[in-house]
Amino acid sequence: MADGAPPPRLQSRLAHLSGTLLLHAESAALYALSPAQAEEMETALRSGDRAAAAMLARLGLDAAEPALPEQGAPPPVRALALTVSQACNMACGYCYAAGGAFGGPQRQMPSGVAKAAVERLVADAPPGGTVQIAFMGGEPWMASGLIRDTVAFARRRAGARAVKVGFAMTTNATLLREADAEFLAEQRFAVTVSLDGDRAANDRLRPMAGGAGSFDRVAARLGPLSARSDRIKLSARVTVTPENLDIPATVAALSDLGFGSVGVSPMLASPTGSGALGAAEFPLLLEAMTAAGEDWLAATIAGRPHAFANLATALGELHRGRPRSHSCGAVRDYLAVDAEGNYAACHRFVNDPLGGMGDLSGGPDVAARQRFLAERQVEAQADCASCWARRLCGGGCHHEVLHAGRPACDFVRGWLDFAIGAYGRLMAARPGWFADG
Amino acid sequence: MTDTPDRKIRPLNMAARQAEPDLPAYPEPVLGNSVATLMDSGVGNCFPGLEFDLRQLDVRFFPGLVFAFPGVTPDGPDGTQGAQLVYADTTGDPVFDEAWPWVQDLAQKLNGPEGSALGSGQWYLHYVEQKGRRIELYDISVWQNALLYTPYEGEIAWWIIRLIERSADPAEADLAIALTQRDPQGQPMGVPVVLTGKRRAYLDGEGMIPDVYHPGELTASMCSPWTHDFRDCACQYWASNHPDVVLGEVPDPNDRGRMQSGQEIPDRTSETDPLQPVSFLDWMRRRTDPAADVQAATTIDGARPYRYDPYEINLHWQELDFVLQGQEANVTPDGELPAADPDVAGPSLPAICADLRDNLGPLEFILALRYLYATFSIRAPEEVTAAEAAAWPGLADDLRAARQILLSVAISEMTHLRWVNQMLWSLTALRPDVLPAYRPVVGPTSGHADPEHSLSLDPATPGIIEQFVALERPGGDIDTEYAQLVKHLREEDGYPPGLFQLAVRIDSDGLQHYHKFRDVHAILAPYSELEHLYLRGVTLADPSDAAVAPALKLLEAAVAALQDGYRAEAETARSNADRAASEALIVEARDIMHLLWEKGEELAKQRIGIPFFAPFRGGCGG
Repeated sequence: MADGAPPPRLQSRLAHLSGTLLLHAESAALYALSPAQAEEMETALRSGDRAAAAMLARLGLDAAEPALPEQGAPPPVRALALTVSQACNMACGYCYAAGGAFGGPQRQMPSGVAKAAVERLVADAPPGGTVQIAFMGGEPWMASGLIRDTVAFARRRAGARAVKVGFAMTTNATLLREADAEFLAEQRFAVTVSLDGDRAANDRLRPMAGGAGSFDRVAARLGPLSARSDRIKLSARVTVTPENLDIPATVAALSDLGFGSVGVSPMLASPTGSGALGAAEFPLLLEAMTAAGEDWLAATIAGRPHAFANLATALGELHRGRPRSHSCGAVRDYLAVDAEGNYAACHRFVNDPLGGMGDLSGGPDVAARQRFLAERQVEAQADCASCWARRLCGGGCHHEVLHAGRPACDFVRGWLDFAIGAYGRLMAARPGWFADG
Repeated sequence: MTDTPDRKIRPLNMAARQAEPDLPAYPEPVLGNSVATLMDSGVGNCFPGLEFDLRQLDVRFFPGLVFAFPGVTPDGPDGTQGAQLVYADTTGDPVFDEAWPWVQDLAQKLNGPEGSALGSGQWYLHYVEQKGRRIELYDISVWQNALLYTPYEGEIAWWIIRLIERSADPAEADLAIALTQRDPQGQPMGVPVVLTGKRRAYLDGEGMIPDVYHPGELTASMCSPWTHDFRDCACQYWASNHPDVVLGEVPDPNDRGRMQSGQEIPDRTSETDPLQPVSFLDWMRRRTDPAADVQAATTIDGARPYRYDPYEINLHWQELDFVLQGQEANVTPDGELPAADPDVAGPSLPAICADLRDNLGPLEFILALRYLYATFSIRAPEEVTAAEAAAWPGLADDLRAARQILLSVAISEMTHLRWVNQMLWSLTALRPDVLPAYRPVVGPTSGHADPEHSLSLDPATPGIIEQFVALERPGGDIDTEYAQLVKHLREEDGYPPGLFQLAVRIDSDGLQHYHKFRDVHAILAPYSELEHLYLRGVTLADPSDAAVAPALKLLEAAVAALQDGYRAEAETARSNADRAASEALIVEARDIMHLLWEKGEELAKQRIGIPFFAPFRGGCGG
């Protein structure tokens, strides 16, 4: 906190005030208050939940019941991550897949496993529905032949059932050639390229398996992809470690490289323990995120494009305002499949007994999914009950929480507080940015 | 907590807004058939429409039985063609809920030995018998002293089944059928199963197709409607409404670069051709044909060589553009209309009305008489001599066509004149605060201002027809003025929808005039060097000429009757009660105009042209 700021108030489980914007915690609804109301609300929040509840009632906001937790069997899975290659040509120290193999032997998914997984995904989708297939690794393009075959198979099967199918791949891009880019464009892939910053930062964090830097190699491979940006949804994903905390510089460097969208993701839990952010780094992380967010906001208000995707995503979510029970769609809508045909809670849970969800022979394990969702929902998290941000955050990444706990909640709240303020500013300056759809 | 909620908080995000009552939300997509797949949205010009396969009704023509109608296989007849029994089952068939004795008998048979016989092996319909007439579904010939039965193929079997009638008396079982099995050569064998019953009713008392048909059954045998085989049903209907003529694609205002480059569309229509937006093209035209970009021909014979035959659509369907609002579109529309330039305000209502009154009304009147004069100048078909007909076999028809088209446009201008007046009196009644009182506009000037339209009266020479084409050309003065009126009525509130539609009709009618004059030009072109062949040689008479005095009197009388009629109609514009009086005046005006037509023809045969504008300008000429 900067000098001269009022002392931090007590956290309220009911509401949060960011400037004159009021977040109603349970419903995720946002309201604009008059300055006088905001002042009263501020006082009430400092006095505790009783006063806060009374103030909310005066504003007509006491009626919202907590949303009922989801009951019953989860719906059919709509998105599948195929861990097509449990091997990688790079050697990033912090990788959740531990060099791509998830702590096991390196291997490639057999074609029969991929097809069976796709077959089941498509068969469970309602006619006219949509499914998503993401190719993950390791480095998925080490299994490029399998990806091509699987895409063709999925198109055929989905076409027969009038199901729409979308494809995505997260790749280090070091193996992509011109013809590959054309294939990805033809199939309208969403391609996420992992890169960690400018050349210096990236090469320190993301060495090739032989030890050489990867930046130049990736940069050279990007041309064919960005040349097809009308058909390939291209974005960069940055893993933030203590080594590359200058997020504005990273976004600028990757933007120069041709990425229209750059998303960053703090590293909280790494299998080797190396590269994870510690308590000392979170205030720096928040500062860097906020600086990048301010850059994005200034550009967006001025009508210029800006690549920093985290704030755009956060604002979109704030605008929709859907109170969350989980931080993501994993297990409910989304599962991963590994080379042996085992379902995992998501691509991070491959080979992880905490996230086992059955296998291809029996289909996704409904009981396991139901249990996981019930245990992991934010309503069941004692830590979260007192937090105003619980319905925005959904309780955090399941994989991180199960392996590293929740070390970054202050950072998350700080970021969401900034995002709510930014929401109000953008709503005032460019309300058209929010398409109500 | 009982305080009145402070209403001044402003909901911002969607969650906050949805917390307010009465906002419907559709969190899940709705799956199911779209309305366009319902029977009643089917093709209007074909009974019962091509949205389902008629033959599928007849697979259940006999209660309790389901047939299929396989044809001859590509390898030739194999003895399985005809009306094949698929299965016999009384459950789920509403006929068997009825209590008529024949229904009971039939149910007993189908659930008894006959039914169990039909349950094993492949059975075929052998004959149908009604009113003492029996038709066997076999072609029977004698071969080596034996009867050879060749089963009819499925389609013929179906034709025969279609002939079966349904008597009105529900108690009467007037239909007998026999089913037999066949040996490997397709010869009927064994003991036939004979059943008595009644043809199924395909609609119930409420006009519904009975539940005995399962969802999807009536369309099950259809290939994709897009690739429907037209030869099969011996018709030329598209399986869904399809356009005959369309307007070509015009530049997408959202795609400036392509427009500036003047890019040719692959089918040889050109985006930059100013006529493109107004030329009707044959939607079925062969896109690779050099004539692809010319206007649609007006007859089937004329169009045929340049268009795909219906069956060819199956091969070329990708080339046929989607048609949106009559216009071909080979790209997905952007969805957003180009924004109107807010800095360019349209003219005000008083300005528009002044324009209607002083400019457009007079112009319609002038054009009607100019076109009428041109019509009179052309020889009537019966004036063609035998010698001329021998040398020019098409002459009489061409004259008839040219005169009819010219006259139709002249009449259409009179209709426009009426619409202009109706528009004026309607607007005056709606906005008396800003508009002057209505006065009929029937004449070459309104008395307020001289619009300076040409008052020349000329015979229909090629040059004059070209002038007419230019006058009516879309984008010219006339339709621009009407377009402003349309825009005003559409964008401003408070006008009844009928008024807007009226303006649209005037505006779009001009397009027809343009095309019609182009047709006249084309029809008369072969005779352009031989004016005596098609022109009467009419010259404009002096207004003082006694010969034209009766005609001018008729014209004046018609104008006076119209003015009186419009005035009366304007006064009764808000009720139907006094309409009759105004109608009588309008009818009188029409009768006078018919007399004027006869008089004009009589004079034109004497090569006398009526100086129509003389009564209005006290001596007007060419």
